[in-house]
Amino acid sequence: MGKKINKQADADLVRDLKQGDPAAMEEIVKRYSNKVYNLAYHLTRDAHAAEEIMQDVFLTVIAKIGTLTTEAYFSTWLYRVTTNAAYGYLRKEKKFSEQTPVEDIDQEQYLDYDWSTLPDDVLLSEESKEVLRESIDSLPEAMRTVVVLKDVEGLKNEEIAETLGISVPAVKSRLHRGRLILRQLLSEYFSKYTEPSGEEK
Amino acid sequence: MNCKLCSALFQEFLEDSLSEELIVEVQDHIRTCSKCRVSLRTYTLTVTLSRKVDPPCCVSPETLDRLKKIIRERLLKTNGVPV
Repeated sequence: MGKKINKQADADLVRDLKQGDPAAMEEIVKRYSNKVYNLAYHLTRDAHAAEEIMQDVFLTVIAKIGTLTTEAYFSTWLYRVTTNAAYGYLRKEKKFSEQTPVEDIDQEQYLDYDWSTLPDDVLLSEESKEVLRESIDSLPEAMRTVVVLKDVEGLKNEEIAETLGISVPAVKSRLHRGRLILRQLLSEYFSKYTEPSGEEK
Repeated sequence: MNCKLCSALFQEFLEDSLSEELIVEVQDHIRTCSKCRVSLRTYTLTVTLSRKVDPPCCVSPETLDRLKKIIRERLLKTNGVPV
C-alpha cells in the first residue's frame, strides 16, 4: 500500500491510521507538520511553544483518531485540535493579552486617511509588521483566532466555522469586526506618514 | 446605499460573494463617496498586510526527526507494532 501513499486522500490515510498503519501516520506528519506548526506559532507567537503544541497535537491524533467519525473532515479536525492546544497553552501561561474593547475603537476618526498610497517600504517595513502583529495580538480572543485562521492561515469561512464550532455568519461577523479594528490601529500608526485625503465627496 | 451598509458589505465584496445588484450598488456608492472609497482601500490593504505579517515557517529537520521518533514510540506502545 505504500507506493501510492503520497497521493492518497486524507480520508484513506485516516482509515489506515485507524487500523494502526504507521506509514499512514508518517504521511500525515509529512503533510501537516508545517501547517500545525504555523497555526500554533501564529496563535502563540512562540516558536518553542509551537513545537511543543505540534508534538502534543500529533500524539492526540494517535490517541483520538478513533473518535473522528467522518474521515474526510480530518484537516478541519486537526485545526480544531491545534487551536484548542494553543488556547490551552495560552491559558496555562496566562498569555491571553488584554483585549481591545470594540467600543473603544473610533471607526470614524481616521477614515479620511488614505494610507493605501504609501510606498511599500513603509507599508512592509519591519516596524509596521510589528505594529500589525501587536494589533492582531490585542484583538479579543474570538476575533483574533478568526483573523489568524482566515487572513494569516488562509482557511475558508466554512473551514473556520467547522474548526471553531460556530456558524459561518458568526465567522464573518468576527472577521469583519476584527479587520475594522486592525484597520483602525494601522490607520493610527500610518497617520504619521500621511495627510488626510484631499478627495472631494 | 448609505455608508454604514456599504462598509458592512466590504468582506463579501472582496470575496466576490455579493449579488450582481449589490456589487453595482457598492461600486456606485464608492464612486461618489470618498470616505467609503478610502475606507475600502485601507480595509483591503489591511487584509493584504495581515497575509504578509508572518510568512509561513517550516519545522526544522531536527524537530521533525524528534517528532517522528516520539510518534514511532507512541505507536509501538499503542499498537505493539514495530515501525
